[in-house]
Amino acid sequence: MNAMGFAWRSLVRQPARASLGVLGVAAVGALLFDMLLLSQGLVISMRGLLERTGFDVRVTATDAMPGSGPLIQNAFAHTQAIAKLPSVRSAIALRFAHAVVPNDTPRGLYTSFQGVAGTATHPWTILRGRDIGTGAEIVINENAAGQLHVEPGARLTLRAACADEEQALPPVEFTVAGIAQFPFDTPNGTTLATSLDRLADACGGNESGEADIIMVASQETAGPDAAVADVAALFPDLRVLSNAEEVNRFERGGFTYFRQISTVLTTVTLAFAVLLITVLLTVSINQRLGEIAALRALGFSRWRVVADVFCESVLIVGGGGLLSLPLGGMLALGLDQILKRIPGIPAEVHFFVYQPSALQIHVLLLAATSVIAALYPIRIVASLPIAATLRDEVVG
Amino acid sequence: MNGANGHIVEATHISRVFPMPAGPVTAVADVTLRIAPGDHIAIRGPSGCGKSTLLHMLGCVETPTSGTLLFTGNDVTKLSDRQRSLLRLRSIGFVFQRFYLLPMLTAAENVELPQSEANVSKAERRGRTKELLEYVGLASRADHRPSELSGGEMQRVAIARALANRPGLLLADEPTGELDRATGEQIAALLDRVNADGTAMVIVTHDPALAERSTRVLSMRDGRIENETASA
Ligand SMILES: Nc1ncnc2c1ncn2[C@@H]1O[C@H](COP(=O)(O)OP(=O)(O)O)[C@@H](O)[C@H]1O
Ligand SMILES: [Mg+2]
Repeated sequence: MNAMGFAWRSLVRQPARASLGVLGVAAVGALLFDMLLLSQGLVISMRGLLERTGFDVRVTATDAMPGSGPLIQNAFAHTQAIAKLPSVRSAIALRFAHAVVPNDTPRGLYTSFQGVAGTATHPWTILRGRDIGTGAEIVINENAAGQLHVEPGARLTLRAACADEEQALPPVEFTVAGIAQFPFDTPNGTTLATSLDRLADACGGNESGEADIIMVASQETAGPDAAVADVAALFPDLRVLSNAEEVNRFERGGFTYFRQISTVLTTVTLAFAVLLITVLLTVSINQRLGEIAALRALGFSRWRVVADVFCESVLIVGGGGLLSLPLGGMLALGLDQILKRIPGIPAEVHFFVYQPSALQIHVLLLAATSVIAALYPIRIVASLPIAATLRDEVVG
Repeated sequence: MNGANGHIVEATHISRVFPMPAGPVTAVADVTLRIAPGDHIAIRGPSGCGKSTLLHMLGCVETPTSGTLLFTGNDVTKLSDRQRSLLRLRSIGFVFQRFYLLPMLTAAENVELPQSEANVSKAERRGRTKELLEYVGLASRADHRPSELSGGEMQRVAIARALANRPGLLLADEPTGELDRATGEQIAALLDRVNADGTAMVIVTHDPALAERSTRVLSMRDGRIENETASA
C-alpha cells in the first residue's frame, strides 16, 4: 500500500475528522475562489462591456465620467472630422441629459435622455419597431415602454433637463420609433434616445453641437492605438483613450479597492484553512504516535511516514478544493445579485467574473495551503523518537 | 551475512545514558552480549532495569552512547537513519506489548505492509501473507480488522507481520503483557515454533513461565546483566 492509499484509509477511519477538514476547506476555498473572481471581475466585465459597444476609442473633454463633466464643444463638427481620419472607421457623438415624461404619477417619469450624431451605427439594439429617422423621433428602452405604457408609433411629450440648474424648458413632442436595448442600462433604469440635434432642441436650442463623449471605432488595419494618436493630434485639448487605457484607468482608480479587500480577505481565509488542517492533522497524529513509532521500528523510513501525513493533507485539501468550486460558483452568483442592487450599475456589469487565471491561482493557493498545513505535523513524525515513544505509550 | 563468528548481534560494553534535567540516567550499563542464529533468549528483571532500552538497542532503533554494537558485522552507530530503517525492515522483526496493528487495515493488509515497504512484488506478497496467516492459525480471519479480533489473535497477526520479510532476529517486548494466562501460553508456544523454525529471538518479559521456555535467560538489574542462566 502506497502513501496515498494509506492516507486515504487513515481518513476513512476517522470520517468525522475527514469531513470536518474537507468541509472546512470547501467553505474557505469557496470564499477564496469568490475573492479571486471579485478581484478582477469588475475590470474584466467593464472591458467586455466597452468592447461589445463596437467602439474602441473614447474622446471626452476631461477625466470626469461621461455625463458628469464639462461638454465637448463643437462635437458634431469634431465627430465629422474624426470620422474622416484614415485610422478611423466611424465615430459618434453622445450627449447625456435627463427628461421628465408625464405619466400616472404627479411628478412624471424622470428618465435618462441621450442624443447621438455621427457616422457610426447607433450604440443600441432595436428590439421592436425601427430606429430613429430624421423626424422628431425617439427610441426608448423596455423599462420606459413598460412604465409609460407606450409601444412604437405612440406619441410622447417630454420636458428635457439639460443643465445643472433645472430651468423650466418647454415641452417637446416625439414619436416613439422603436424599443431598444442600451449597453449601459441599469436593471431598473429608463432611457430615451434621439438625435443630437433633437436633444439640443429639447434642451432649448442654444447648446447645439455639444456632447459628453465621442465614441470612435478604429479601422481594423490601423488599430485603436493609431486612432488614439491621430485623434489626439487633431484635437490636443481633448482627452483620448483606447478601451484598454480606459480599463487601466479603472484598475488604477477606484477599482483597486476591490483588489485590496480581496487580497486581505484571501490571506485571512487561507490562514484559517492552514490552521484548521494543521490542527486536524496534528490531533490525529498525536493519537497515532504509538502506531507510527511501531511502523518506524518495523523499518518504515522517515520519508515514508512523512509522505503519509503529506498525502493526508493533500487529500483533505484536494477534496475540499473540488467541492469549493461549485460552492464558490453558487455563492458568487448570489453575491453578484446583491451587489448589482447598488444604484447606477449597468445590468451588463458583473462583480464576479470567471477567468481561467482565477482557477489557476485558486489551485496554486490551495496546493500551497496543503503543503504549509502539513509542515508542523510532518515535523512531529519526522523527529519522532521511536524508542521513547514506544516506551511512553506502554508506561503512560 | 552474519558477523565474524556468525553472530547476528555483537554488543560489546554497550551503555545507554539519557541526559535528564536532574542528571544523567543510565538505562543500560556496560552490557556485552552475542546473539547467534537460532538463539532463544529471555531478558528478565524488575521494572525500570533497562530491558526495553537494551532491546531497542539490539533492534537498532536506539543507539548506544558508548561501547560497540555490530549487527551482522556492521557498526550500527555508523549507519544513517535511512540505513538503519532498511536494516530493521529486512533483518529484524518487532513484536510489541500493545500489538500496534493499524486499525484501518485488515489482518492481511497489516501483514502485507512491511513487504510492500520492502518493494516485494504483489504476487509474492499475497503468497507470503497467506502462508504467514496460516502459520499463525488465522487464515480465516485474513479480512478482519483488528477491532474484530481478540487480543491473542491481534498478537498472532503482529507476529505474522514481524516475520513478513523473513528477519533473522525477532524482538518482543512483553508480548504477553496484555493477555490472560491461557492466551499468553498460546503466544509463547507460537514464538517457540517461530524459533524452532530458525528465527533467533529475544523476549523481554516479567513472566517467569515465558522466560523459562528460552534457552538463555538474562537477568538484569540497574542496567546491567546480573547473570545468564541456560535452561533446557
Ligand atoms: N527516553 C528516555 N528518556 C529518559 N529516561 C529513559 C528513557 N528511556 C528509558 N529511560 C530510563 O531508563 C531506565 C530503564 O528504562 P526501560 O528500559 O524502559 O526499563 P524496563 O523496560 O526494564 O522497564 C528507566 O529508569 C527509565 O526511566
Ligand atoms: Mg519495558
